[in-house]
Amino acid sequence: MDDLDLLKKDWKKQEKNLPHLSYDELYKMIWKRSSSIVKWIFVISIIEFLLGVVLGIFVIDDDYWQQMEKFSLTEFTIITYGLSYLITFYFIFRFYKNYQRISTTDSAQLLMKNILRTRKTVKYYISFILISSGFLFLVTFYMMMRNHALTAEPTTKDMSFDTTQWFLFIGGTLLVLAVLLGAIWLIYRVVYGILLRRLQKNYKELKKMEME
Amino acid sequence: MNKELEHQFVTNLEKNQNIAHKICRIYTNDKDSHNDLFQEITIQLWKAYPKFRGDSKFSTWMYRVALNTAITLYRKKKRSIPTQDYDSVHFKIKSEEYDDEVEQHLKLMYDAVRQLNDIDKALVFLYLEDKNYAEISDTLGITEVNARVKMNRVKTKLKNLINP
Repeated sequence: MDDLDLLKKDWKKQEKNLPHLSYDELYKMIWKRSSSIVKWIFVISIIEFLLGVVLGIFVIDDDYWQQMEKFSLTEFTIITYGLSYLITFYFIFRFYKNYQRISTTDSAQLLMKNILRTRKTVKYYISFILISSGFLFLVTFYMMMRNHALTAEPTTKDMSFDTTQWFLFIGGTLLVLAVLLGAIWLIYRVVYGILLRRLQKNYKELKKMEME
Repeated sequence: MNKELEHQFVTNLEKNQNIAHKICRIYTNDKDSHNDLFQEITIQLWKAYPKFRGDSKFSTWMYRVALNTAITLYRKKKRSIPTQDYDSVHFKIKSEEYDDEVEQHLKLMYDAVRQLNDIDKALVFLYLEDKNYAEISDTLGITEVNARVKMNRVKTKLKNLINP
């Protein structure tokens, strides 16, 4: 009993040591959650880009270029790398703009608009990744096939596929492509999906508040 | 209309922010978690604000929402935080300032409070805030008798923690 009363006295004394936030700081806090989610989207996109660059450094060596040469894909590779870096840069820039816009927003209406915009950018980005991966896979595969057809020596008498074999072959290729794209899609769903869902929740709350 | 609501809310919050800071003191151990909890409380208050009809004082309402936030948040994390590690950063700093016996004892008390569970902490907090049992029961949504019984148990728990 005495103990708690002693504590109570001290508790009152501690009051003057408490932090004090200004009106503006508190005002900003109401909006902060969305801005930190959008900041994460921006940060993750940069990390992803850097990972890609680092991976590129390890994977792309002389052997790799020789392989590409063999399949006559050198120009194609250089162009696709250049293009994909350019497009990725563009998206990083967009993510940054979104972040900047959201952290300076001061009305619920604008914030809602920016949340929608951010979600759209992420969706476009994921579509870009999926379409470009699929395209890359098909082109590489086609060039490898062509190279094989041109250079391989017919060792067995019957090299040509009959119809069933062709079906199996195309089916198999499409299956591999589907699995590959599915895996990429899944990774992006997990990485960005969590953030997008939070944004969506925040958006709904804002909307509810606007209606009331 | 909405701007008006925002302005009202932030003005009230600014005046009463001590309540939230004190709750953070009881429930968190370091500056970062203090700020996190404070922000979470602010957001929860803002979300609940349209439902605040003004039939009680802002501060009374704030005690209720803020404590609920702390309790819910703490409950989620409970499994991952072992109580033994509760040796807090800002009480360690404080302990250097405690020189005489009374202050040493106070430090022990604060440490003991930190080892209590989420609900018990809320009880102690309201007690330290000089709330009577009617107010405590109202804030925590329990009966007055229940609040008294619980408070007595907490006092015993604290005593045992201080003199094991």
